[in-house]
Amino acid sequence: MKRAAVMIAFAYFIAMGFAVTFPGIRPFNTIEPLVFGIPFVFAWVLSWVAGSTLVFFLLYRAYNE
Amino acid sequence: MTSWHIVFAVVLVYLAANLVVGLLPSRRSSDTVAGYVAGDRGFGTVVMFFVTGASVYSAFAFLGGPGWAFSRGAAAFYILGYGVLGIAPYFALGPWAARLGRKHGYVTQGAMLAHRFQNRWVAFTAGIVSVIAMVPYVALQMRGAGIVLEQVTDGNIPLPLGAAMAYGVVLIYVWRSGVMGVGWTNVFQGVFMLVIAWVLGIYIPLRLYGGVGPMFEQIAAARPEMLTVPGLTAAGDPWTPVGYSSAIIVSAIGLMMWPHLFMKAFAAKDDATIRRTVMLFPLFQLFLLPLFLVGFAGVLYSSAPSDPDAIMPHIILNSGLPAVVVGLFCAGALAASMSTGDALVHGAASIAVTDVYGSVRTRSLSQHDQRRLIRWLALVVGVLAYAIALQSGLSLVAMLLAAYGAIVQLAPSVYAAFLWRRASAHGVIAGLLVGISVTGALLVMPHWKPWGIHEGLVGLAAHIATLVVVSLATPPPPDTHVSEWLSTSRAGD
Repeated sequence: MKRAAVMIAFAYFIAMGFAVTFPGIRPFNTIEPLVFGIPFVFAWVLSWVAGSTLVFFLLYRAYNE
Repeated sequence: MTSWHIVFAVVLVYLAANLVVGLLPSRRSSDTVAGYVAGDRGFGTVVMFFVTGASVYSAFAFLGGPGWAFSRGAAAFYILGYGVLGIAPYFALGPWAARLGRKHGYVTQGAMLAHRFQNRWVAFTAGIVSVIAMVPYVALQMRGAGIVLEQVTDGNIPLPLGAAMAYGVVLIYVWRSGVMGVGWTNVFQGVFMLVIAWVLGIYIPLRLYGGVGPMFEQIAAARPEMLTVPGLTAAGDPWTPVGYSSAIIVSAIGLMMWPHLFMKAFAAKDDATIRRTVMLFPLFQLFLLPLFLVGFAGVLYSSAPSDPDAIMPHIILNSGLPAVVVGLFCAGALAASMSTGDALVHGAASIAVTDVYGSVRTRSLSQHDQRRLIRWLALVVGVLAYAIALQSGLSLVAMLLAAYGAIVQLAPSVYAAFLWRRASAHGVIAGLLVGISVTGALLVMPHWKPWGIHEGLVGLAAHIATLVVVSLATPPPPDTHVSEWLSTSRAGD
């Protein structure tokens, strides 16, 4: 359980590192379509931040059962 | 009573409330260094969450965030990108450091490293690097507080007076209550800045454009270059992808190396508290969204001020808000500034005494005397930073970048301590010195920077190479010591 959570967290944050910097961000670097009124690339970075809450929650549960 | 009087009255009420919150816990910690610096290792989740969140997000986020969105567009997203990446390693590092701190009594990073590498000069070097980076960072916070007060009172409270008022309050509660004052005021300031940011971030686009969607549609039609990364430079030219990406990487590596953040591991009640703090951190970070919205709201305003740091006050003053709301905004900005500044003043003084002075002193000091010395040093740090903050014409953004370049140099030492048994004291010290020198040289000679990479990252590469080579050429600390140290850090994982 712990091991799996740590692996998922590692994978997520490495993926995030690529997704929010160049060149990984390039395919998502557009204004349209607006997501809830927000430019797409802005929503893209925001959703990586929001998603990290889930990953941290998983990690926390694995360590504090 | 004119409107600036009302604004100022709100600010005074806010400062008074801060003083009360900051002074209440002064009797609750013990008369020891661990009491003054680490709150007797008793911080629960609520305090830890707000200390971490409110200390990370400073006047730079509250004023600089909207300022960047306004003048540099999507370049501001870098601030959003690095926070979570920066705090993630702390999920492991925090509890490791905390266990060692409980067993061996450290209250600073430097003390931890000196014990790990069995060499007090490690603490001395790391301490000097920390203080050099922290003092300009305090100055930046003071200037931020002063700028806001000056703007919203039509210049009736000039920058030097505004900065002195806000930081007078900070110094009083840091003096009296140490880290307990920092902790409880940060809860107050953190709640305050979150609420203000969200309320303004939703209200202002609604009032000026009829909503967030219409706002971005209008910006997309008029200035599409503002809405995709890497955005623009301060001069208005396109920023480079390398510049944008390396800013994220340096800030992510550097974030939790800031001593005033890292050393809160020694103040946490237990491991679960640190983990919960990391888990909840993204919720704090999302407050950058409304702040950016305020900044973007200013993009289509032709009458905007030339100083991007003044955009937030400018928009607030020109959107016809009641004076009380303007006052609350101002208090929110002061909260952002003070919640970072207090932790920095307190942290820098603690490090100057325990790591820098502690490494060279010849006779030992009693706990009581050390605590007293830290208080005096906090005052010295405050006055020094104030003197820097008053220098006009000094670029504060450049100072922040320089500070990050310096602080990121603590990362190889900390990671080597936990992850590389073969690292030696000489390797760590040589690495720190080379890293700082290379970063400093590139800061002074920016045209030497290869491909526009952040100077801290270049310094980091030189640092790591030096650390590895010198460590392999010199003996590491005794194997039994390293094994014992590492197993203490991992006990309970």
